[in-house]
Amino acid sequence: MLLHLRWQILVNSLRKSSRRTELGFQILWVLFWLVFLIVTCGAFFGLTFTLLRIGRPDLLDLMLWAVLLVWQFAPVLFEGYSPGLSFREVARYPVSFRTFYLLSTVYGISDPAAITCLFWLLSMWIAILAMQPAWALAAALAFLVFAVFNLLLNRILTGLFDRFQSTRRGREAMVFLMFLLILLPQLLQFATGYWTNMRILRPPEWLLSALVPLREYSPPGIAVRMFAALPGPELGALGALLLYSVFVALLLRWQLRAIHQGEIYSEGYKPRRALKVRQGWRVPFVDEITAAIMEKEIRYIRQSSRMVLQLIYPPLIFLLLAFNPAGRRMFFSRSPEAMLGGMAGFILLTLPNLAYNTFGMDKEGFGRWLLCPSSIKKVFLGKNLTHAALLSGLYLLAETIIIIAARPDVLLLLTVTVAFFAVLMIQFAAGNLFSVYWPKRIELTQMSSRMASNAAGVATLLIMLALSSIGGMVAYATWALQLPWLPLVAGVAILVASIKLYFYLLDRAASYTWQHIEEITGNLGA
Amino acid sequence: MADTILETIALRRIFGPLVAVDNLDLRVEKQQFYGFLGPNGAGKSTTIKMLTGLLRPTSGKVTILGRNLATDSVEIKRRIGVVPEGLALFERLTGAQLLNFVGRMYGLDRATAATRSAELLEFMDLADSADKLVADYSHGMKKKTALAAAVIHGPEILFLDEPFEGVDAIAATTLKRLLQRFITHGGTIFLTSHVLEVVERLCTHIGIIQQGRLVASGSLEELRSGVKVPGHEHSPLTLEEIFLQVVGGAKQDAEVLSWL
Repeated sequence: MLLHLRWQILVNSLRKSSRRTELGFQILWVLFWLVFLIVTCGAFFGLTFTLLRIGRPDLLDLMLWAVLLVWQFAPVLFEGYSPGLSFREVARYPVSFRTFYLLSTVYGISDPAAITCLFWLLSMWIAILAMQPAWALAAALAFLVFAVFNLLLNRILTGLFDRFQSTRRGREAMVFLMFLLILLPQLLQFATGYWTNMRILRPPEWLLSALVPLREYSPPGIAVRMFAALPGPELGALGALLLYSVFVALLLRWQLRAIHQGEIYSEGYKPRRALKVRQGWRVPFVDEITAAIMEKEIRYIRQSSRMVLQLIYPPLIFLLLAFNPAGRRMFFSRSPEAMLGGMAGFILLTLPNLAYNTFGMDKEGFGRWLLCPSSIKKVFLGKNLTHAALLSGLYLLAETIIIIAARPDVLLLLTVTVAFFAVLMIQFAAGNLFSVYWPKRIELTQMSSRMASNAAGVATLLIMLALSSIGGMVAYATWALQLPWLPLVAGVAILVASIKLYFYLLDRAASYTWQHIEEITGNLGA
Repeated sequence: MADTILETIALRRIFGPLVAVDNLDLRVEKQQFYGFLGPNGAGKSTTIKMLTGLLRPTSGKVTILGRNLATDSVEIKRRIGVVPEGLALFERLTGAQLLNFVGRMYGLDRATAATRSAELLEFMDLADSADKLVADYSHGMKKKTALAAAVIHGPEILFLDEPFEGVDAIAATTLKRLLQRFITHGGTIFLTSHVLEVVERLCTHIGIIQQGRLVASGSLEELRSGVKVPGHEHSPLTLEEIFLQVVGGAKQDAEVLSWL
């Protein structure tokens, strides 16, 4: 019944053409996932095979740790790809607690991460069967109990995640935390010069020795002991693994019982504060309406920790690079212009997040733009101006630091700057069009909610390819003709052309909006 | 002769094979409180979307405040206020920021926008939540915010799509007070609602739409005189009785599910 429901939802959603395009790209992602699955299964098989051949079955638990971590944490990271049916909804129907418990648990198997992990376990088991047939039966039992343990644990974590996700603040905090966790290792690398001196981040010996009992008595360690223990399979290990599973089953029972009985979570309230409405911002050189649009856009970014993080990440990397001794040696002394070029590229990489789905964060609010007595062109301009000001500000800050610190070649500096603004204009021109061709609601509370549609993502790649080709041709011509000023002249010509292109596509985007209001509002939920 | 504030001529909207609104001729005069009724899917929301620029008509003409909506939409939008179906709120702004923003978008200067925002928040009992993101508001609070956003610039005509849906009694009273005050001060209201009691109590004029066509229109008295219901020859009809008679959708006892 649930499968039929999901199928029906899919079929109904295909009535929209934009949804059909999205489905095409989703199928592409599924194909990627299948390739990933096949490759990683091969790796799991090969590694197990090798470990058994060299007589190190004790290291198999590390692979089971990988299975456990992926099974438990990948669904949280890729929440949008996981089955989205909330079992809180199922609890509203007259189903017994036993059925509810069973459905809720079994549904966890349909998660792509769970399927991947099951195939990894199967690959390991086939390798064991090939190398140590005597262990095959015990290994099958161990992996089965281990899989059940993982499934139950995953449902508990999903429940906790759901609880945390039940308030907007909780959801956003979670997304922020996840992004921070993803970015932290990279930040650490840049901050500590890890890539020039690997020893800095090597874990100390005491930490490694403290991890030994954790490995031994953890579910992965016990599972391996069940079949690989010498002289033979250990029944105690089976008991311990079952105990772990029963424990998580009971925890899950406790958690699901509350949900089945109708437990709800809600947003907290702020204490009362005196009402004071501040006047809106005044922005130099722009009229009142554009200033209002800019204020709204800045507030939207500022009031989303995820957006702030995505925006400050490139300059943060830049600063760490700039003030890191190794980075300084590598870039400042050799080619500060290349560093500025890299920084420009880094900043431009954040642009699709802001410009390729410019109404995505507005969601229902898109209708407000249509109700207001200003042209949709002005709205595009106001939004573009805000984002351009932010990105240009970052770029100019970086440029100033480089000029002060490294005194770069003026001609190259000018060339990079002109190229930056030319690409900026082209990206905004394309972004406006993409925003109305493939509008997509952005759910800031979902880790996997992308900032633009898949179609816009592919279009971005094509644009980058075209721009890189032009850059390559200019570079070749400069080298072949020995004309050092050519890139600057070409850059200025491209900038002029990109400004013309921007206004041409702006008109197209505005007229397309009016012709497809319904489709756009439908996609944005407005 | 009364001022015609809103007029549609042969307004039509089709979605593929479905004719949502079919040759609709409407006329709303100044200071009328016009209730636009109809069963689910009759074309009420489609009509109000076309009247406010949220949807392009397939054919026909809309004139608001003497101007053609197709050619003068910006000027018309400056003079109307709208509470649309989905409310169209920027939910990641606080209530105060949202009202301030909307006020400025309608051309109010910064000081006026801030002052009116504060007054509206107080009036709507939203002052306590002025610094909270709209995303965290309850449905009723969002409705009140949308209405505040619709009136902040002092429009001449208000278009309200189901303003009382999902609103508690206290909030509904606040909304009614605001709307009546708006009419008293010379405003005109075009409202769709399912709550017939509210429409009966508030509206001076009523239009009933069914399957995209206007099937009845006029003041409540005009409708009463035009509709005859057996057994009601001497007592005035309620709006619900008129509505059911015109639309004719009520199930008889014999038609009610036998197993229920």
